[in-house]
Amino acid sequence: MIDFLLVLFAATLLYVSMTSRLEAYIKVLFAQGLIMFCMTALESPDLLSFNFFFLALETLGFKTVVIPLILVKVVRRLGIRREVEPYTMNFHSLLIASVILIFGFLTAFLSLDPAQAIKPLHLGVSISTILTGLFIIMSRKKIITHILGFIILENGIFMLSLSIAREMPFIVNLGVLLDIFIGIFLLVVVLNRIHSTFEEVHIDTLTDLTD
Amino acid sequence: MIAILLFYPLAAIPVVILLKSRWVNVLAVLIYAVLFAGISGALYVSPAEFTPFFGVDSLNILFLLVLALLFLAVSVYNVGYMRHTTVSPGRQAEYTVFFLLFVGSMAGVVLSRHLALLWVFIEATTLSSAPLIYFDRSRSSLEAAWKYIFICSIGIALAFVGIILLSLSTGRLESLFFSDLYKNAGLLAPLWLKLSFPFILVGLGTKMGLAPVHAWLPDAHSESPSPVSAMLSGTLLNMALLGILRVFKLMELAHLDYYARNLLLLMGFLSLLISAVFILRTGNYKRMLAYSSIENMGIISIGIGIGGIALYAALLHMVVHSLTKGAFFMSAGNILHVYKTKETGKVRGLLERWKVYGWLWVGCFAAISGIPPFPSFTSEFLLVKGIFGKGYYFQAGIFFLLLTLILYGMGRSVFGMSFGGGGSGESDKGELTAGKPSPLSYLPPLFLLLVLLVMGLYLPGPVHEVLRRAALELTVF
Repeated sequence: MIDFLLVLFAATLLYVSMTSRLEAYIKVLFAQGLIMFCMTALESPDLLSFNFFFLALETLGFKTVVIPLILVKVVRRLGIRREVEPYTMNFHSLLIASVILIFGFLTAFLSLDPAQAIKPLHLGVSISTILTGLFIIMSRKKIITHILGFIILENGIFMLSLSIAREMPFIVNLGVLLDIFIGIFLLVVVLNRIHSTFEEVHIDTLTDLTD
Repeated sequence: MIAILLFYPLAAIPVVILLKSRWVNVLAVLIYAVLFAGISGALYVSPAEFTPFFGVDSLNILFLLVLALLFLAVSVYNVGYMRHTTVSPGRQAEYTVFFLLFVGSMAGVVLSRHLALLWVFIEATTLSSAPLIYFDRSRSSLEAAWKYIFICSIGIALAFVGIILLSLSTGRLESLFFSDLYKNAGLLAPLWLKLSFPFILVGLGTKMGLAPVHAWLPDAHSESPSPVSAMLSGTLLNMALLGILRVFKLMELAHLDYYARNLLLLMGFLSLLISAVFILRTGNYKRMLAYSSIENMGIISIGIGIGGIALYAALLHMVVHSLTKGAFFMSAGNILHVYKTKETGKVRGLLERWKVYGWLWVGCFAAISGIPPFPSFTSEFLLVKGIFGKGYYFQAGIFFLLLTLILYGMGRSVFGMSFGGGGSGESDKGELTAGKPSPLSYLPPLFLLLVLLVMGLYLPGPVHEVLRRAALELTVF
């Protein structure tokens, strides 16, 4: 079951790299949040524990509901519905994303070592997710897509932390969650400002400061 | 005591927001600075801890004292800055709130004893200082703030990947407290540790301003208000340095330091190269100072990479750079205030028109460029001695060459601004020469320069002792 979810998660990465519609990106984020919630629910030893409550809040409440909602609101208000405007063709993006995925699985199977407490498929998918997030940030022009890429990257890091099945102290978990939330919130706020100041939300407009 | 350092901002924020008064704003920062200095001094005399997560040891006390000293000077300078600002009381309160949070989160970074908690606080410094960078509400400050949050967030996210990989290497230890990691360094899995260090170095190096991941630094430093620039350059970069040092020590204990050292040397020399190229090109004096920060971070990471006496020199250089760059950015703020331009070419005849600001400007330049009796001479001399001691003659040659280029680039700008063409017949000369410099604007940088002068002429015993102990803490025999 877990493996099925992981493959589904990998498929969302391929989808996100070939689509050019912003709504599709946000739907993918929603789907990823849901998959991550199912995974934590399936893997958690005790569904009534405080730790599980915390993870559920992070995946279901935060990654599945709050962030997509904020993003949908921003996209509607700024009226930037049409497309993502990549630097590369969709087909090439898909190709690169596939290569990233293959690379992820290769590292996963190379790191297959019974002595280590690590789940290889988790590791492979999380590495692919992090790299895909970085790739989306680098290859798209619109600033909102950069935020989306950043969130995908954060999802990848969350998957990575799932792959080691180890708990951080509560205060650290709380801090990480708070930081990421405020970070994304701030990015959205600044995006709004950029939109009202520059009227165009391309990265190409942010070139005043150079030497 | 540590609790006061961490919770004072949270307690002061409601007061600042409710009262929205200019004097309350200024006082809130001043009181925090005085408390900070007092408590740091007390912690130096008798180390303490607050919960297992926060505490003082012989490495972070150095960073705490530097932070306290610079914050004290900046908080006085801030009084003058807030007096001149014309923004609404609400915006002033907002500035103060984020300033307090910024310093509070830096205190958190310094005092953290847990690797992931240190990460949390470093990210908190990014989030709390981003609104400060956008304080001017201009297009360019918006661009700077965007780049700052975005680049640093990605960097910090990569550092978190490094932390997860590091926690993989701990096996059954299941703890990220520095003390536990250090005690069990021999048991850590070398493969994961080796994988994690580049992530942590690049991630925290982004925040520290090491090339090639320095892109946010010149923008953020040049666009933020002057007190914030001074804090960013003088203290924020050190926070990431502390994180790198903590992990570096772990690498040493695990006998993987040759690998970590090479990476540090690589990024250090790259930083020197980048700053040498851009210092010669830039026409904005605040950006010039920002590139100089990149240069000095490069010097420090070279020092750590070399080790031995160069490590002591790197720590001394960290202290010297913080104090000098704090004074330098405050002086730049004074010039910006009277000339209303950041362009190097439009500022002329500083020594003639604004004697105090001009001499401060030249003094800061002397202090950063390693001219005796300033202590940057001592630190750079010891560092070069360390490089020679290792037999790296070629690297020492490159080091000298790049440093000379940077010195030339900065000197050209600084002397052009201080001396050149005082009477070039600009129409606004009359307006510019009017007014007297306020003591609040020149006493804080002057104070820092005097501290530096004392350190250069005769390094006081306690200062040397703090540095020596910090260097010993990082040395593995």
